[in-house]
Amino acid sequence: MKYTVHLASIVASMVIVGVLLISMNIDPIEAYSIMFQRSFGSKFGLTELFVKTTPIILTGLSVAIPFKAGLWNIGAEGQLYMGAFAASLVALYSKNPYLTIPLMFVFSAFLGVLWALIPGILRAKFGLNEILSTLLLNYVAIYWVEYLVYGPLKGKKVYNFPYSDLFPKYAILPRLLETRFHVGVFIAIFLAVLIYFLLTRTEFGFSIRVVGANPKAAEYAGINKDKIIIYSMMLAGALSGIAGMIEVSGIHMRLKCNISPGYGYAGIPVALLASGNPIGVVFAALLFGFLYVGGSALQTTYSIPVAIVYVFQAIIVLFIIAGDALRGRKLWKFLHH
Amino acid sequence: MEILASLVASSIRAGTPLLFATIGEIVTEKSGVLNLGLEGIMIAGALSAFATTIATGNPWIGILAGGLAGASLAFLHAFFSVTLKANQPVTGLMIVILGLGLTSFFGRNYIGKVATYINPIDIPYLSSLPFLGEAIFRHDPLVYLAFATSIVVWFVMTKTRYGIEITAVGENPEAADTLGVNVDGIRYICTLFGGFLTGIAGAYLSLAYAKLWTDEMTAGRGWISLALVIFSGWMPQRAILGAYLFGGLDVLSFKLQAAGIGISYHLLRMIPYVATIFVLLLAVSRKKEAFGAPSALGRPYIRGKRD
Repeated sequence: MKYTVHLASIVASMVIVGVLLISMNIDPIEAYSIMFQRSFGSKFGLTELFVKTTPIILTGLSVAIPFKAGLWNIGAEGQLYMGAFAASLVALYSKNPYLTIPLMFVFSAFLGVLWALIPGILRAKFGLNEILSTLLLNYVAIYWVEYLVYGPLKGKKVYNFPYSDLFPKYAILPRLLETRFHVGVFIAIFLAVLIYFLLTRTEFGFSIRVVGANPKAAEYAGINKDKIIIYSMMLAGALSGIAGMIEVSGIHMRLKCNISPGYGYAGIPVALLASGNPIGVVFAALLFGFLYVGGSALQTTYSIPVAIVYVFQAIIVLFIIAGDALRGRKLWKFLHH
Repeated sequence: MEILASLVASSIRAGTPLLFATIGEIVTEKSGVLNLGLEGIMIAGALSAFATTIATGNPWIGILAGGLAGASLAFLHAFFSVTLKANQPVTGLMIVILGLGLTSFFGRNYIGKVATYINPIDIPYLSSLPFLGEAIFRHDPLVYLAFATSIVVWFVMTKTRYGIEITAVGENPEAADTLGVNVDGIRYICTLFGGFLTGIAGAYLSLAYAKLWTDEMTAGRGWISLALVIFSGWMPQRAILGAYLFGGLDVLSFKLQAAGIGISYHLLRMIPYVATIFVLLLAVSRKKEAFGAPSALGRPYIRGKRD
């Protein structure tokens, strides 16, 4: 029943976007068949699908974990950029061919953690709303990366482009099948499974769920709420930071602006669609990966902006909320105080 | 002195869109509805105003269109929050994403286009005053409209029956309902009003401030306005101060760059966002009773259900 609503919402979003396409004199049937063909019709398309899904799995998890604790991490985008920054520093300055990639992972996760720690601490210690603080830090992180690629990290062999130099070969994630399909895909799926076990099989995961479902009960049970808030934000930051590393190392092979077309924000509807379940996140991310691949196919064919993906995202979620309300059941019961 | 006057003048201009949106959201939140969608509503207002002005040649019709576009997105938010009793942060976030997506989609034909803009006017006699003339009396009409709207909202909220009813609905909807106040109706009106003003904030950006249309041109101003609501303690009179102050920070980052002080433009652009976080921190660390958030903020009202 739940998935009927999800499916109906996807169809509804396609109908509404179809109307928008018609208003731009684009045949929606043709447009949608291009989207499907590009994503599923070739080896290249299928591998692209996984490549685009990868960062969304990670940002989806990054929203889902704090979500389970009753928190909103709207800062996955900024955490991703900070992770990309840290990974790029390692890639550009490390000379050791074996340690570079592991170090890139560690440092990107570390910087993501630091970036998420700020709103985590502000929320736990001062009660500062994490929605605004995580979001505002996104702008800071993006300007920071812009500053770097226009300034200190601007490459020597990039003419006037705001790019860093290309990473050395040993800082690039191995690719398979002669496409952009890189091992980061497996890492993201592995992390999703790991987070699933963490949330369902460990005391820490249990505490997160109790704090999210009933903060009062958590207090009685002797769970330190502030600690859980901070730890869940740190974990969220690590995942988004790794997403940034995978993007620069697996796809761009250098640091530049616009490394993410809103993957951090896509994590929000993904986490909602999956109701915060890490395995659900993988499948919801696959849907959004498809939207991104399809979206760029539409961009190259009709030169409409990839931001059409945003419209799909918002409409799908709004329809799910509406369907849920109409059936008189509250999906996010634990968020109602 | 002249530099200071021009600094004050540009702070007021930069603060005007923030003021419109902050005042609108104060009214929305006072009624108990949390609308996080300002960023998406503002950008929708900016594009609708720009496109309508090009189509009609009249920027005032454009401004109205911007307000109406804002009100329509706010209606969507009200429908989900008030009628469907849905989770308000989720709906608000989706409205941001929707607004950014729709404007990027429809806006691509308007990049680089020129519209009829709203220009500053010199107020007779007053504009020739020393200092004050340049600082205060040579703005476009919307600057004064924003200020006047704030005063009117302050008056209505604190001195009239409507204000008391709105506050009652936001503080204690159960009691208000018992007294025969239409809780859902007031929440709808306040949310639409907030959306209308936020749409005008966007219209101001594209028609009077930046005088162009670009993707994501609101650049976080919706979020900063949400922070200003908290900073102002839900009081319109304080919102005026906050908006102009933050307008000043925006201007500062440009002026510092123009002055060639050797700090990268990209780093200076961070100033308003970092400052907003600090200001929020100051606001929440004040005493609880001075804080002023409506008690039922973000909580849907369902008759007969207490939580």
